[in-house]
Amino acid sequence: MKTMKSRRPGGASGGGIRKRGPTRTDRDGDMDMDSSARGGKRGRGDSGRSSRAGGGRSAGGSRSAGGGRPQTRDRTLNAIEQAISENNNRSSAQANVRHGKGGKGNSTQISITGWKNSNASTKRDGGVENLISFCERKLNSAPKGSRFKVTKSRVEGDILVVSVHPEWTERLLQLNGKLFAGVNITVELYDSSTAVLGQQLASSGGTSASTADTKLKITSILGKRFNPAAKLLDLSKLVDDTDLQAMGIFNSTTTQSKFFPAMMKVWEMQFTSSSERREAVESVSLAQNQLANVSVVTTMAQTFADIKNLDLSNNNFKDSQSMIAWRWKFRNLEFLDMTGNEFSAKPDFKATMLKWYPKLQILNNVQVRTAEEIAAQKKTPIPIQAPHFQDDSQIAENFIRTFFAGYDNNRNDLINQFYDENSKFSLNVNVQAPKVQQTETAGWDAYIKKSRNLSKITHLTARMNRISNGPQKIAEMWNSLPQTRHPDMATHPEQFLVECHQVPGLPDPTGQSSTGVGGLIINVHGKFDESVDGKVETRSFDRTFIIGPGNGPGGIRVLNDIMCARAYGGHEAWSPESQPIPQAVAPVPTIAANPAAPLAPAAATALPGFPAGYGAPAPGKTETQVQQEQLVIQISTKSGMTLQYSEMALSGNGWNLDAAWKNFEELKAQGSLPPSAFLNGV
Amino acid sequence: MATATDDVLTKVSTEGATEFVQSFYIALQSNRPSIELYYAAQPTTILFNGNQVADGAAVQEIFTNQMPTAKYEAQSFDCQIINRAYPSTTPNGPKPPSEMTVKDMSILVMVSGHVRYGDGSDLPQRGFSETFVLIPNPTSDKGKRRKEWLIQSQNFRLVV
Repeated sequence: MKTMKSRRPGGASGGGIRKRGPTRTDRDGDMDMDSSARGGKRGRGDSGRSSRAGGGRSAGGSRSAGGGRPQTRDRTLNAIEQAISENNNRSSAQANVRHGKGGKGNSTQISITGWKNSNASTKRDGGVENLISFCERKLNSAPKGSRFKVTKSRVEGDILVVSVHPEWTERLLQLNGKLFAGVNITVELYDSSTAVLGQQLASSGGTSASTADTKLKITSILGKRFNPAAKLLDLSKLVDDTDLQAMGIFNSTTTQSKFFPAMMKVWEMQFTSSSERREAVESVSLAQNQLANVSVVTTMAQTFADIKNLDLSNNNFKDSQSMIAWRWKFRNLEFLDMTGNEFSAKPDFKATMLKWYPKLQILNNVQVRTAEEIAAQKKTPIPIQAPHFQDDSQIAENFIRTFFAGYDNNRNDLINQFYDENSKFSLNVNVQAPKVQQTETAGWDAYIKKSRNLSKITHLTARMNRISNGPQKIAEMWNSLPQTRHPDMATHPEQFLVECHQVPGLPDPTGQSSTGVGGLIINVHGKFDESVDGKVETRSFDRTFIIGPGNGPGGIRVLNDIMCARAYGGHEAWSPESQPIPQAVAPVPTIAANPAAPLAPAAATALPGFPAGYGAPAPGKTETQVQQEQLVIQISTKSGMTLQYSEMALSGNGWNLDAAWKNFEELKAQGSLPPSAFLNGV
Repeated sequence: MATATDDVLTKVSTEGATEFVQSFYIALQSNRPSIELYYAAQPTTILFNGNQVADGAAVQEIFTNQMPTAKYEAQSFDCQIINRAYPSTTPNGPKPPSEMTVKDMSILVMVSGHVRYGDGSDLPQRGFSETFVLIPNPTSDKGKRRKEWLIQSQNFRLVV
């Protein structure tokens, strides 16, 4: 049979090592060898598929590989765990790192149903071979192009699931409704959670349902229970839901246990970005569901990781153990209702809930923590101040504005402008960075092989390979990284933190100065969006640039550029705790809580060219004098001019800061300021 | 220096940065009286959450007298060479090129990690990002406590 031959795994190479489809791993982390090693050992006539009709081998293919029919219970567990772990694989950085190329990216799963009653059903395999041959024949009817063959398939109840390269997806889906051996088959994209649920519903005597049908029903049920204005998803009294009863969800414990994860999956599929999903719901009610523990509903902690309000009232939670799976989940939970549960009366109830949920304020309608107490948790011993931005004629500001727009839109252009043979770029990923939201972030596949995290990358060769020197290498690197979208700095300044200060001792591009030249070091913290598997993911980044004199716009070039990517961490961390103190009143902010502490004078000496205590009150100094000194510091910081020139500019303009600044800009534009007017002579 | 090959430069810079990162956070955590040793005599800019601090002695003073216990973890870090031949000033004036070695480089170091202030394990872990410019130690004194590179500038920010 030529079709069987062509279906032999490994294709023309005949080897069993490589295969086209993704490597599947089951819950024990074992590789699913069904289409490679097993196929290789078997005779040519064997399809090498993981399943035959009636065998019903579902997710854990490798479990059945050793022979012996897997127990139903085991299979069910596998299916559920697969549904859950597929979520995890997509979203958890660690899982992705570990699994490497085991992602879903390179094959699509298609479900084919409606063939059970075909004329071929009397065959020993229920007609599966014929069905696959049928599909292959249909897709190969066109004379040109590469040949289509099914190398990986399995049967789940009424569903034949085939894994194909994405390029075939569209044409395979066109077979939907086609006549196969006397019956019309349904071909659609496979969705594990609802498919498994649909299959279980069918076998447990409920309404027979196709994947799409099950999904549609669940979507409709969710729609009725979702109040978008209140951001509330009401999942209370599910047992009384006539729609669910009609679906036959409660006819067996299997369907009951699968229903909830499937519902969560369907919910997630409604959203194209994780932030959209996160923002849609703030409150969930699971009241009056006779829950004795959270095991059936546990996936909710992933789907709704960031909710603020959770109603679990009138269930059967007996003690902390019954909720243990949700310990440390819902890190943003503020309101929890556990009334009508035995657990509420236990002595450890309040303390346990406070410990598990750090932002919990209202427990069983009683205030257990104040907003102030929660704010105090975030309190840092080092007060958060507005950014230190010691720019030089808006060089850094202009560069940063140009940079992020360019990085989003035309990276090559940016490189041509600002990067030269001496520029360096490297990237590191902090895969375990703290994050504000608990919603899992997408994996780091696109970044991890380029990450130069020196605590992990210890071999010299790798350390050398993972840094890009010069425009060409940098362009190669940047063009291999995902497209990004940074927020607009003008309209969303709060989402960035940009700091800048001068740095001496940079290499002189002309090679003339042996003492080096001065430049700026710029630190940026912010976020960007990128598209991962068709969904928008938000990530945070830290990026440090050193810019020095060069031939780019504004007479600068980038010498160093280090970027750190990490999970989204918000921007609250850098919003100042209090309004920044205007500079004219207090000079450089100091770290000491008491402004008169030892640091105040020390801070002043940090400004080169200024005597100690300059700008600070001192015995014998008048109030006016102090204010004038502070204005001098301000204009000097802004202009880079020395104390003397700054003082001249101010006194010549009646100590009016704006007038003095304008004057300075005019003089600078005319070129009438000598190099000695400037602190660093740049 | 000019003759040093890329592999040597990479080795020296990355090992220097690693050594620095591995010991500096331990000093902040449990050896605060040694903090000053990590700093150049006249650092350019030292910033903690936007607060400017004068020098290493001031940083040490703050950590010794004002800071609660802190547990740092540098989860990810990277470095790049800024200037292969950093113009150091020794007590005898500018260091002549003839005396320079491959270690006379300035290094940009960037760290991403988390810190927990205080003793309770329930206290939150805050994400931070910190950037250092390290310059070669211009002094030639020997001794175990001598650092090969010193902090010229530092910018610490809580970011999560």
